[in-house]
Amino acid sequence: MAVVEKSYPVGENRSFQCASFGGNAKEYFGIWIVNVLLTIVTLGVYSAWAKVRRNRYFYGNTALLGHTFEYHAKGKQIFIGRLIVFGFLIVTQIVTTVAPLAALIVTPLLILAFPWFLMRGLRFNARVTSYRNVRFDFVGTYGGAFKAIFLGGLVTIFSVGILAPIAARWFYRYVFDNLRYGDRPFSTNPTLGAFYKALGVAIAVALIGLVVLAGLAFAISGTSPEAAMSGSMGRVSVWHWAIIGFVIVYAVAGLFYRAMVRNIVWSATMIDRRHSLLSDLSRRRYAWIAISNVIVTFATLGLMRPWAAVRLQRYLAEHTAIHVDGDIGVVIDQVRSSGGVISAEYLDVDGFDFGF
Amino acid sequence: MSTVSTLASDGPAIAAGLWHPPHSSRAIPARLVDIGGSLTVLSDEDDEKDKRLAWGIRSDIEISPRVGSVPRRIVFGNESVFETRDNDAVDAYLQGRGEKRSGFVHRLEIVRPRMIAFAVATIVLASVIYHYALPGLVEVAVLVTPPVVPEIMSAGTLKTLDQTALSPSKLPEDRRKDISDRFEKIASQAEGGAGRYKLNFRDGGIIGPNAFALPDGNLVLTDQLVDLAGNDTEMITAVLGHEIGHVEYKHSLRQLYRAAGVAGLVMLIAGDVGSGVQDVLTQGGGLLALSYSRSAEAQADRRSVELMQAAGMDPTALSRFFDTLETKLNDHSDTSMLSTHPGTPERKQAILDYARELRDKKVQS
Repeated sequence: MAVVEKSYPVGENRSFQCASFGGNAKEYFGIWIVNVLLTIVTLGVYSAWAKVRRNRYFYGNTALLGHTFEYHAKGKQIFIGRLIVFGFLIVTQIVTTVAPLAALIVTPLLILAFPWFLMRGLRFNARVTSYRNVRFDFVGTYGGAFKAIFLGGLVTIFSVGILAPIAARWFYRYVFDNLRYGDRPFSTNPTLGAFYKALGVAIAVALIGLVVLAGLAFAISGTSPEAAMSGSMGRVSVWHWAIIGFVIVYAVAGLFYRAMVRNIVWSATMIDRRHSLLSDLSRRRYAWIAISNVIVTFATLGLMRPWAAVRLQRYLAEHTAIHVDGDIGVVIDQVRSSGGVISAEYLDVDGFDFGF
Repeated sequence: MSTVSTLASDGPAIAAGLWHPPHSSRAIPARLVDIGGSLTVLSDEDDEKDKRLAWGIRSDIEISPRVGSVPRRIVFGNESVFETRDNDAVDAYLQGRGEKRSGFVHRLEIVRPRMIAFAVATIVLASVIYHYALPGLVEVAVLVTPPVVPEIMSAGTLKTLDQTALSPSKLPEDRRKDISDRFEKIASQAEGGAGRYKLNFRDGGIIGPNAFALPDGNLVLTDQLVDLAGNDTEMITAVLGHEIGHVEYKHSLRQLYRAAGVAGLVMLIAGDVGSGVQDVLTQGGGLLALSYSRSAEAQADRRSVELMQAAGMDPTALSRFFDTLETKLNDHSDTSMLSTHPGTPERKQAILDYARELRDKKVQS
């Protein structure tokens, strides 16, 4: 696989090497359609194994400095993890149904459990990922997760969102400062100002979109509100369109923010305090890819979903780069040599895009 | 051939790749050979040419299942790893040993014309789930939902609306009493009796002429709708009957579950959760399901006819409401969706047909 080399003159003429993605839509289509089919036929049971095959495909085709990543989780592991979470939800549901007052006890417990789930999920995803035969690891604690989520959340709420970037910074520092590649630590130090800028841009985009929407809505006004609760006389109203429009505006603002935050965090990250990472997503291009992916996927009844997924992954990989300072040298796998039992790791938090 | 080889015979190489010592990121160019039935990794590095790096019998070796064309990992008993991109060679070797080539799933995944059949089967299955399994699951969920849930859903909704769009009604007292009295008549015929339903008068503000029901039995009627109706109080009552129908059939709860089900279905099929695409898909799917379906509206229309007849009023009053909407709203707004809404004439006709059907039944009995 050819590793695309791009040189970025970054001040002290450091040269960065891009990652690349070697998967293609046709090959992935085969994997994806079989995943979907078997998932439906097995009433969702196969989805855990499907996830493994999907991740092995994406990790195994993402190359950095000529080596690919590898995903090691086993379908059974993920399935058991999902059963645990599912059983947990069923039990709380039954308890709150039988004794509604129990909700007063269960809800705080759920809230307290959440950082733990997050921490375990990050650890799971790190430990089942390897690069050059060395696994990643995550050494964050419950306390750190608690601070990153709850204190961050409280700070955000009490400052009416003005201090949200502080919370974001806490969170990403929790994620990256506790990440290890073998025995090499990751560290990240994004500036607050950069987060404020990202938030400002996202809010500005959202406001402009909302002003346009409101103008449209008032121009067409004269029908009825459709809160999710209330049925008017069954007409599709302006409010429906307003909601859909709002979702689109929100999505664009969110995607801009996401792209900017990824650039900020990754570009501020160092491995072993020497090798630096870089992410240079263009926010417009990223939002365009994400939104056109959705449209194409819908228009083709989902059949172009593999193409969309490959397209996004290729874009992300090609805009992620590393600068190696000197030689990485031989890294020793800490997780396995220290006897960390990976097979006992069950909790996988979906929806956290760790790694590339 | 090598001069330092301690081996009796070097078979031909199965595949070339990289070998990692146990737990180490060191990578040594190497090749995989089969020597007398045991798999052996020989170095291809210049200064250590042909040195034996790892070996083992097949039962002690784990070969990763094939996924597309990602590198294949061959893990030896001492946890050292040989990695090769030559998937086909590994498959051919395994086949030669009489093992299954590359796993059943991988063979399914190879893109061939039969993929078209897979795609069709997937779409058919997904739509079968959407049309048959999902409604079934929704019914089950509605059955096991404790009555406290609709209360929770509604608590606060009216309050929020009052703080935002709605304001106190400006209707004269006697007009309100007139409507309330008639409302009591149909509510007493409805499931749960008059005590379950409460009629609230409000000024609609930007909402305009409308009536809607919350799942806990609170109905809201806007002044604008009363004005629109003129003196036709019966018509207003019919509209309220329609809303009672929504409450009785638990339409909003069903809607909520359907939205959740659709979101779940999307998540199941789309796979990689977590991309921005996924969020939009899931939320979009949920939102689309959040509109009352036509069948729900038709059900509520029929309920209105039944209630009106039971209360001794004109069962077809609701169809007059559609007439009124079409004429009056189009007078001052061209953009009204009603004029373009294809369902309205059909709904009117359905109401008239159903009222006739009920009348015939009554005559017979």
